Amino acid sequence: MGKGQYVDDITLPNMLYMGVVRSTYARAKLIKVSGEGAIDGNELRALRASVGEGAAAASNLDLMEPILARDMVYYVGQPVAAVFSEDRYSAEDKISGVEVEYEPLKAFNAVKAALEGEPIHPGTDSNILRETVVGNAFDDPKADVVVEDELTNERIMPNPIETRGIIADYDGKRLTIYISTQSVHSIKRGICSSLKLNPDDVRVIQADTGGGFGSKGGLYPEYVIAAYAAMKFKRPVKWIETRREHLLATNAGRGVHGKMKLFADKSGKLLALRGEITVDSGAFGGGMAEFTAPYIAMQVTGPYKIEKASITARSVMTDKPVQGPYRGAGRPEAAFMMERMMDMLADKLNMDPVKLRLFNMSDKPFKSPLGLEIDAAKPFFEKAVQELDYERLRNDKAGIGFFVLVPALAPGETARIRINSGKVDVWLGGNAHGQGHEVFVRKLIREELGIPEELVTLNKGDTDMLQSGIGSWGSRSAIAGGAAVVSAARKMKKEFEEKHGKFSTTELLNGTYDSFVFEKQEGQLNSFGANIATASIDKYGVVKVKECIAYYDLGRMLNPPMVRGQIMGGMAQGIGQTLYEELVHSDDGQLLTASISDAGVPIAENMPEFVVKVVENGSRLPHGAKGLGEAPTIGVPLALCRAIELVSGKRIRSTPVKQEYLSD
Amino acid sequence: MKKITVKMEVNGKDVEREIDPRMLLATFVRDELRLTGTHIGCDTTNCGACTLLLDGKAVKSCTVLAASASGKKVLTIEGISKDGTMHPVQKAFIEKHGLQCGFCTPGMIMTSYWLLGKGKKLSREEIRKYLSGNLCRCTGYQGIVDSVEYAAELMESEKAKEKARNR
Repeated sequence: MGKGQYVDDITLPNMLYMGVVRSTYARAKLIKVSGEGAIDGNELRALRASVGEGAAAASNLDLMEPILARDMVYYVGQPVAAVFSEDRYSAEDKISGVEVEYEPLKAFNAVKAALEGEPIHPGTDSNILRETVVGNAFDDPKADVVVEDELTNERIMPNPIETRGIIADYDGKRLTIYISTQSVHSIKRGICSSLKLNPDDVRVIQADTGGGFGSKGGLYPEYVIAAYAAMKFKRPVKWIETRREHLLATNAGRGVHGKMKLFADKSGKLLALRGEITVDSGAFGGGMAEFTAPYIAMQVTGPYKIEKASITARSVMTDKPVQGPYRGAGRPEAAFMMERMMDMLADKLNMDPVKLRLFNMSDKPFKSPLGLEIDAAKPFFEKAVQELDYERLRNDKAGIGFFVLVPALAPGETARIRINSGKVDVWLGGNAHGQGHEVFVRKLIREELGIPEELVTLNKGDTDMLQSGIGSWGSRSAIAGGAAVVSAARKMKKEFEEKHGKFSTTELLNGTYDSFVFEKQEGQLNSFGANIATASIDKYGVVKVKECIAYYDLGRMLNPPMVRGQIMGGMAQGIGQTLYEELVHSDDGQLLTASISDAGVPIAENMPEFVVKVVENGSRLPHGAKGLGEAPTIGVPLALCRAIELVSGKRIRSTPVKQEYLSD
Repeated sequence: MKKITVKMEVNGKDVEREIDPRMLLATFVRDELRLTGTHIGCDTTNCGACTLLLDGKAVKSCTVLAASASGKKVLTIEGISKDGTMHPVQKAFIEKHGLQCGFCTPGMIMTSYWLLGKGKKLSREEIRKYLSGNLCRCTGYQGIVDSVEYAAELMESEKAKEKARNR
């Protein structure tokens, strides 16, 4: 240990350090930028080609974020200029040396203000980035009971312990990028597109990556500036994000508001669901916010059989950084909306919440009017109630949460297996950043080709070694990546058999083989999960989580210790969202939670001893896996919010649940 | 800026460098000595990724001036293994899955190394309490607590073996 090669551990000869001058206003006219040797938006007139997780360009190019601000700034932290120096300390000095003249304007920092206020982008007619209606049209049914409420998940930061970082190196012809990322391919596409470079002239290599949780999937302005500067100065350029920059300007997650109306008869049968989902998309298009609102709407009915559902899904632009994915990326929000409503309905009907939930499940597969496809829910959740020990824990005011995990299976993934001199090298389209992809890669190759695991190396992402790829996010690596490894192995086996007849591992290892596949995936591969939690609350409103148990269907566990570890880590993040984590901005858009602790990343002392239970109902994929990574960030807030509600007697409508709300 | 000379013992070796007086200890070990196992995660003494031992005490080196460490002894993650053999704390973190992305790990290990060096038997609650100055975003801390408990056992049995050898 201590031998990792994270991006900041790499030093190239003659390297420059880059510092970024950032807007100090949430909304202002940018009058003038002056600083010796600084690159500003008048020099580098490029647009951020995409924002996160394989997102495409905005539907309206005028709404894309400029790499460096020009004429206007739209959020505190927006890059205005970049400076370059011989070491990181003097780069900070140079940041202070850049003078920026602003003419401050009234900022529209909250969604409500942005909906009522003037358009933040001149030339547009409203701050609604996108609005669609998902589901079927229906008249309100005759219902014995109607529950109606508003629910919120505030913005939170991914906060991997390693911040973002990049080194760009230009040899006069080709640009080589070393970067902390979830996808070298996404970064390459973004840089080529933003700077209009020929893909052959750009190579992106993954450094060891210290966590991502969604924040390192896509392109950011700093990457484009560093690439441009490396070509301009013909020197390597390094930029390492500070934590404060991460909190100010990296894509924030969540930031979703729901207005829900649930119709039921007096037996508890759900008749219809109507609602509105509003996503705070931040100041620009092209990001997750272009599609998160309808994506949340699509999943909102969860494991329940509801024949009528209609959700208005909208994304609203505000003077804040662009919304991005954070572990779950729409899935936790959808489940939060539904499960909070189910608990409220149970209370209104004076019915046990678990009984109400099971009563509304089918023992057959179901496709919701919103488009969510699920297997038979009832058998899984009946088992879950036993596994989670609900009968015992309900006496301790346990909260329970049921959900459907919708992994990002499509469009599939790439893999390359190369055998040379008895050694096996593998590259995957998605890049590991703490999930231990090498374990499942070795296991699947052993199973398919009989190759001993110690001969197999999973290499870090490198666009010169793998021609294309998607990325690691959306609970997809073990499923889409695993299926690609299996497919590449089978392709290699077939090639061997066509050449030599009967398959032999020894013969294969003696030869030279190279197998690449893009294993295409279509349709949904959804799975079920359930969580339970108990809590106590002291008279100051401080919540202590007592028991926190998960029960998930993982299809097939490829790496059991990592599965457990990942679930426990996600459960801590779920507690974080529920109790501690939030990005708070003042009315004029200044960030008030400007350290990692202020932003609420949980500490060891506040975490309970987690219990993880799994069931393996194999999937339709050749290796049987189902999605995993995001399950705990979906399930834990559901269960914990209900537990807090039962203990405090106060209705929980938003995360984080504030201490001041719970104290007497 | 006028440079100053700092001298200290780092991982058992004497080092001497001319540096900016404002240079922080974390930057000093990383950039000047190229000991990159000590990580920087927050700059605000919150995350603990930069934890190292200064005269035997665990400190967050991102808010200690290198100048103030002059004349002292520094121990980083690179200095705890001996002759290529991992320290029991390192072994335990691997065996008990105390890490995922690995970025917080050197700091976690240095805090644990200091903690276990006290020789006091610790409950899981106590381990959690003493590790609360080190943030991990991947593991949910349970694997880390398991690792520290196991490291204590390994160190205990090493001590017993040592004793038997010396008898």
